[in-house]
Amino acid sequence: MVFSSILFMFIYLPVVLAVYYIVPGRWRNLWLFIVNLVFYGWGEPVYILLMIFSICLNYVSGRLIGGYLSGSAAGKHAGDDRPKAKRVLIVNTVLNLALLFFFKYFDLVAETISMIPGVSIPTLGLTLPIGISFYTFQTMSYPIDVYRGDGHVQRNFIKFGTFVALFPQLIAGPIVRYKDIAEQLDERHESVDQFAQGVQRFIVGLAKKVLIANNVGMLWDAYANAAPGELTFVGAWLAAIAFSLQIYFDFSGYSDMAIGLGKMLGFEFLENFNYPYISKTVTEFWRRWHISLGTWFRDYVYFPLGGNRKGLPRQLLNLLIVWSLTGIWHGASWTFLFWGLYYAFFLVLEKMFLLKWLKKCPAAVGHVYTMLVAISGWVIFQQTSVSQTLVFFRAMYGFSQAGFCSGTDLYYLASFGLVLAIGIFASLPAGKNLFARLPEKVRGVAVPVLILGVLVLSTAYLVDSTYNPFLYFRF
Amino acid sequence: MKKTFNIVIIAVFLCFIGAFFILNIAMPDVEFSQQENRYLQQMPDFSLDRLFSGSFTSDFEKYTTDQFAFRDKWTALKAGCELATGKKENNGVYYCGDDVLINDFDAPADDNWTTRVSNVNNLNETLTGYGIPLYFGLIPGAVEIESAHLPANAPADSQQTLVDQAYGMSEATNIDIASALGAHKDEYIYYRTDHHWTSLGAYYGYEAICAAMGLPAPDLSSYDRQVVSQDFYGTVYSSSGFSWVEPDEIETFVPDDGTVTVMDYNGAEPTAGPLYDTSFLDVKDKYSMFLGGVSPLRSVETGRDGPSLLIIRDSFSDSLLPFLTANFSRIDLMDMRYYKQSPAQYAVDNDFDAVLVLYSVDNFATDQNLFMLSM
Repeated sequence: MVFSSILFMFIYLPVVLAVYYIVPGRWRNLWLFIVNLVFYGWGEPVYILLMIFSICLNYVSGRLIGGYLSGSAAGKHAGDDRPKAKRVLIVNTVLNLALLFFFKYFDLVAETISMIPGVSIPTLGLTLPIGISFYTFQTMSYPIDVYRGDGHVQRNFIKFGTFVALFPQLIAGPIVRYKDIAEQLDERHESVDQFAQGVQRFIVGLAKKVLIANNVGMLWDAYANAAPGELTFVGAWLAAIAFSLQIYFDFSGYSDMAIGLGKMLGFEFLENFNYPYISKTVTEFWRRWHISLGTWFRDYVYFPLGGNRKGLPRQLLNLLIVWSLTGIWHGASWTFLFWGLYYAFFLVLEKMFLLKWLKKCPAAVGHVYTMLVAISGWVIFQQTSVSQTLVFFRAMYGFSQAGFCSGTDLYYLASFGLVLAIGIFASLPAGKNLFARLPEKVRGVAVPVLILGVLVLSTAYLVDSTYNPFLYFRF
Repeated sequence: MKKTFNIVIIAVFLCFIGAFFILNIAMPDVEFSQQENRYLQQMPDFSLDRLFSGSFTSDFEKYTTDQFAFRDKWTALKAGCELATGKKENNGVYYCGDDVLINDFDAPADDNWTTRVSNVNNLNETLTGYGIPLYFGLIPGAVEIESAHLPANAPADSQQTLVDQAYGMSEATNIDIASALGAHKDEYIYYRTDHHWTSLGAYYGYEAICAAMGLPAPDLSSYDRQVVSQDFYGTVYSSSGFSWVEPDEIETFVPDDGTVTVMDYNGAEPTAGPLYDTSFLDVKDKYSMFLGGVSPLRSVETGRDGPSLLIIRDSFSDSLLPFLTANFSRIDLMDMRYYKQSPAQYAVDNDFDAVLVLYSVDNFATDQNLFMLSM
């Protein structure tokens, strides 16, 4: 199930909220546990078993690790138990990654190995369980946190299951680490204020996804497969900018909806996006884009590998590892690996000298450079073939076979100009800041009117949902 | 102040989603959408099998959008929003002003198109062996002939290019329908809300066919034109969402005076069919009044002297047929989507004097059954 659907907004959500607030507090986690499984299993009911297996695996691992560690803390068999805890942790991590590999990457590896003459491994063609990339990372972090002493053991199976499959962030993040949410699972105080914030946040996300992302997505689709002789300079940039806006509003809109829904249920999740397109360096861009993923890789891969503490060559290697993994995490295709390495290249360059150099330049230089890297990066990200990526790069960087601009480009510019302008404006903090400066009385009227407006328009677009693709099932 | 603000926000949100939750349950399910001209998804049956195969959940989700309260109003609102934000098309339909809606057109890949034409050539080769001439006509849509009405720079592909390419390849006798229609492009030759040609458009097509076959065509002024419907909303209207445009008129030129008999070979026993089935004028699908909609094979006896003709058809031929009854003794209409035997064999067995493959460019570019022509 996805948030931006009639089913979710007008059946699932009213029922979930109504029952959640009718039942006494101690039953609320159980209710969430049940509806999480319904949400998860909606597209592929069989995979509920997979989810329950994942919950059990990590629940038991957490209990075992916690048990071994408390034993050693009590001094009984000090020295014996910490290695045992570590062995459980390793087995657990391997099993989690094995599941992720099997469901997400098996076919890619099989196809790749089958390219060797004489070798043929059949592909499985399994449907990717929704959100597996997100929830695998979430659950894996729990036994690690327990092992490191960063989180307490959760003895209550229902509460733990609620954490793993929590529907707001199940399929597209933010990636919530166990330690960030542990206390809220045991005790949270839903309030009118928090619920109202949640509504506003959800509506912002809904508008981003349904009114902007889906809309500009059609512009990218119109150009994505253009032949070299058709793709002009203007057309290539229109399309690349459209996709850059689409992925930002789709993804951050989904995070906004997740954070908003969390608030409606009394949870506080960490922020996932912070106006990435205002960055002046690529390093800054990745601090503002999909923050929870970057944090996860930092805490669970980069730091354990030694981070920057073992000398420059080792740091560069660590960066390479982290960015290969970040790339391939985005989907089972080698283009995503390449996309990750593309970013590793710029990040290393910045670490070596570019950051210092950019600091001395006017801010505009940094902005232009970062946007060029990001927008070109999205072309690599979204094109499935290298040859089509090159068609785009040639057109974008002045070697178009089709010239500067065509009548078709003008048609699309007229059709999408307004939405693109709104999208660009909304990806900057200016609008939010301006709105915050309005007198409170004006906002008091404007906010409910805007909420109603977004609800009405989004419903119209969802009912007419011949075009409502969801980008993140590949993740 | 803050507290009131919060409560207003929450109330707006919950009332909106709650109201539609209740409305969707309370309002009776609709079986058929006149607007969209299709059966809507009904509440799916539940079974564990269907649940675990995923078909229950996917049908249920379709049910929620298909049966959403005031569905048609929402799609119209979306279409209006698209226009308001500067778009000139919605769901693949161009809004051309003056109540004119025109379907977009995407040309098929080159090899796909030429394969289609080679099927016509295969049929021609077989028929030539039996001395039966084959005529080949491609009917361009409004997107080509009325392209002046399209929004500036609209990215619709050219149908004329495809017709030229096909005719260049074709070994049959080609019929230049595009020029015949193009010469009258400012007349009411296409429905404004439907993808078909009007009866007037069909007349100009008929003239071109007669010219190619060396037959006389009566003058336009000799027909007794009757307006049989003034509230026809066609297929383009259905997919567009532009629900505020004016309906079309349907005309007949040739009266049904009983001299023409139609036999339908649809099922085991042939049944007598009408030239015009006026019962369709009371439903959404009014164009089907011409011959009464699809049938694998129809045989029309005109009661006149003349040669016989087999037409391998799409729905454009249905409004053309009344004109042709003046020139032929017998006309059969074969629909390759449903007739699953060799058309050449049929032409030979029934001793036809000529065969005509007549398709709209749109259908010729997309139909999956053209390979049957080679059988």
